[in-house]
Amino acid sequence: MSTLCLKNGRVFDPINKIFNKKKDIYIEDGKITEVSNGKISETIDCNNKIVMPGAIDLHTHIGGGKVNIARLMLQEFHNNSDNDYDLTADFVPSTLKTGLQYIKMGYTSCFEPAVLPINARQSHAEMADTPFIDKGGYALLGNDDFLLDLISRGAHQSEINDYVAFILKATQCIGIKVVNPGGINAFKFNQRALNVDENSVRYKITPRKIVRVLARAVYELGVPHPLHVHCSNLGVPGNFKSTIETIKAAEGLPVHITHIQFHSYGNNGDRNFSSASAEITEYINKIPNLTCDVGQVLFGQTATMSGDSMKQHANHSHAHPDKWLCMDIECEAGCGVVPFKYTDQSFVNALQWAIGLETFLLTEDPDKIFLTTDHPNGAPFTSYPHLIKLLMDKTFRDNLLDQMSVDISKHTILKDIKREYTLSEIATMTRSAPAKILGLKNKGSLSKDADADITVYDSSIKDIEEMFANPTHVIKDGIVVVKDGEIKKYTWGKTQVVKPEYDTAIEKKLKKYFDKYHTIALPNYKISNDEMSEVIGSDINEVECIRKRIS
Amino acid sequence: MPKISGSLSHKNVVCPFCSLHCDDLEINVYDNKLSVKNNIPKSCASKFEQLNLPIYREMPATIKGKPCETKKAYQYSRQLIKESKETIFLNSSVDVNITREALSAASKVNGIIDHVNSSIFLKNISIYQRRGYMATSLTEIKNKSDTIIVFSNNLFKTYPRLMEKFLATNDSFSINPKNKKIYVIGKQISNKKDCGSKDKRITYIDFNNKNISELLTSFANKKNTTSISNKIFNKLLTSIENSKYLSILWATSEFYSYKECDEIIYNISAYVVSLNKTMRAACLSLAGNDGDVSFSQTLGWMSGFPSRIKFTGNFFEYDKDSHNASQLINLGNSDLVIYLNSLSEKKLILNKKNKNIVIGRPCTKYNIEPDIFIPCGIPGVDFKGHIFRTDNVVSLPLSSLRLSHNKSLQQVLREIIK
Ligand SMILES: [Zn+2]
Repeated sequence: MSTLCLKNGRVFDPINKIFNKKKDIYIEDGKITEVSNGKISETIDCNNKIVMPGAIDLHTHIGGGKVNIARLMLQEFHNNSDNDYDLTADFVPSTLKTGLQYIKMGYTSCFEPAVLPINARQSHAEMADTPFIDKGGYALLGNDDFLLDLISRGAHQSEINDYVAFILKATQCIGIKVVNPGGINAFKFNQRALNVDENSVRYKITPRKIVRVLARAVYELGVPHPLHVHCSNLGVPGNFKSTIETIKAAEGLPVHITHIQFHSYGNNGDRNFSSASAEITEYINKIPNLTCDVGQVLFGQTATMSGDSMKQHANHSHAHPDKWLCMDIECEAGCGVVPFKYTDQSFVNALQWAIGLETFLLTEDPDKIFLTTDHPNGAPFTSYPHLIKLLMDKTFRDNLLDQMSVDISKHTILKDIKREYTLSEIATMTRSAPAKILGLKNKGSLSKDADADITVYDSSIKDIEEMFANPTHVIKDGIVVVKDGEIKKYTWGKTQVVKPEYDTAIEKKLKKYFDKYHTIALPNYKISNDEMSEVIGSDINEVECIRKRIS
Repeated sequence: MPKISGSLSHKNVVCPFCSLHCDDLEINVYDNKLSVKNNIPKSCASKFEQLNLPIYREMPATIKGKPCETKKAYQYSRQLIKESKETIFLNSSVDVNITREALSAASKVNGIIDHVNSSIFLKNISIYQRRGYMATSLTEIKNKSDTIIVFSNNLFKTYPRLMEKFLATNDSFSINPKNKKIYVIGKQISNKKDCGSKDKRITYIDFNNKNISELLTSFANKKNTTSISNKIFNKLLTSIENSKYLSILWATSEFYSYKECDEIIYNISAYVVSLNKTMRAACLSLAGNDGDVSFSQTLGWMSGFPSRIKFTGNFFEYDKDSHNASQLINLGNSDLVIYLNSLSEKKLILNKKNKNIVIGRPCTKYNIEPDIFIPCGIPGVDFKGHIFRTDNVVSLPLSSLRLSHNKSLQQVLREIIK
């Protein structure tokens, strides 16, 4: 057996409480091993190098209908010339470029957070065409007529659990996400807003109820990743209150609030738009079982894409360039694609930038907050190294704040925050913490038998942004795929899925619903393991549930 | 060819032949022969059953029209590809996986990749490349749409089960289907004949669809300036105004020959966008039946562009004008065209100015003999596959129903491009 040794690196492995410690790492057969018995076939000298597990992005829109709509809608931006093969724009990259850019940044696992069950086949096909990385998806529920009808008729929680488990299996997903709970559905019945405690006209149920029922289902099934929630009132000034109410709706069960920056707005001041990061982070800090990712805004052209057709439609007048698409989808969900340019000349955009950073810096525990831009909604994922520098370097961010075209200094407490993230904290929030919250026992860690997904950085590079943008080595499943920025070998990752058990009686009920109301048959809605590998083109890896099903 | 003895019954088979991709078919296979068990239009069933005829089963490869061993056809194909300075891969009916392979093939020989229906589907995409668009999908229409307007001259011939299975349905989850109002606007005679439905919910309106823009203006101004009688016009307008969810359907291919084509589709879209200020309405522009959506979607995620890509060394470029296959062929700017035709029975129009290789389902039709014809299996009959439905968001698995006499199109491509 051949062994690869990473010698003398400064290792950051938060799961094993190893921070900045000189240590050799051995790799055999795609896995991390302890001191090797076999012959060392290759040694990488990691003197002056930082060694971390491969990074994990738990919320990035990399595959599925709306991503592809954006690619085609915004093709005039596909002229980026700093890449010699693929000219697609960083905010709507092709699948190939997505894989290339992620792996060159040392990211080895990425999760698409908005898989419409009916569109899962497309999502998985796109991700299967994305090289290097492991991937997975969160299935969207909570706006589908079938579930809303179940809830409105007072169905027992165990029946809902069966349905949720069925959806996870049928769509080959690893988690459940709810977007604007009930709101996307209500928009189809011409409601234009839906607050947390407001009844939808059609089903007479509230977003609070939907969040409660789904958070419970995910918990009781033992799905590792908590319910992933895109709250009501996206982007609406004053929405921090409904965000806090949504957190409360989970009633203490685990819940993940996504792109929380977009949901942390007050409506104070002469502009009726203010930061509520203090109120929000107070909650994050005090409530156990609550995690979030930020959805940081950075300046430049991008595309916003969301299942939230209600809010995307409401915001379409801000489209830049002036074009957009919203869609109602299969009595299940919706989508809205609205291109957008964040500029520091806009008070709102500048404050969004500050609110995101405040949220990162005021959240005490890096295990509870994850580094995202909600790619591409706040900015493309390629800006992560820049974002890391903003978090690690107070002078850098204060200077940027001073140079801004609009003066937001009276509206943000950013300058009063002394905190600078440490490398250990960055390693936690981008490696061990997302692995933990997704139930990926073999990822985000350098423990024995973990998958050998490893990133090596050159610590002699003084600029932290440059260091994070250019790992010297990226190792995926034990294979050196990137060396000094060059691709050494193409590999194809797996799709991470979770399959909690369920009573198949739910399929009989669903079959009746499908036969009568749907336009495809239930068996064709489901994606089998064979279809994943033979037709879609990605093998699956089943992640274990955290415990036996409760009810 | 090994025989399967005994009978095999496949349920919920997805039909690959029209872009509605109805998936309620039950097909029995006995002795490798297919028989459709459902009561569906003859034209749909025969698409499967005709494949049992010996002529479909025993079709050989040909070189200049003369039967030859498949190996010879591969060899000669490799030679033509090697000699070619500008190879075009022209898709004329494909699924997702064939498109993936075609793209990979084109990249290996620095070829151009295009689809025979590009000019039409690029018009649809151009709506949301230029302005706002409100879209919907078939299950929404079935369950929520109380008023449906279909602009059609021959749509019910192109999509035989559109009315029965998706529009004039007896079950709707969110509305009372009895109250649905369906207006079919266009060539009344052919619509009535092809649709064949005497359903009271359907109103057939005779109209020249070149004048759709005028009709939409009349709706917006609530003043009829069209050839439609005031009585019918008012009925239509009242339905729109009282609608809880209005759907407007059309196929851009039907307007393609009109000089007003772009104007019509932009105006329908703009009208629907404006209605959404106060009510709900959405569009569905029906795609072609030649795997158009599978092609443009797959190319979209793999390259960022829906069609017309040329590979040049390390990278590829998109140009909807200079990589337009039919123009290049007409101008004699390509020396080799490889047609990829796994599903369609439409006649391929080849040009003798260049060499032609057709990799196609058995009995692919063409105007002139290609230099080489290589038969391939049909996805959804002979091989598994993955295909997009007309509404762009639903994609379905294609199954393999019988033992194939031929290789899949992907396998053939891999044979001739090494
Ligand atoms: Zn998102």
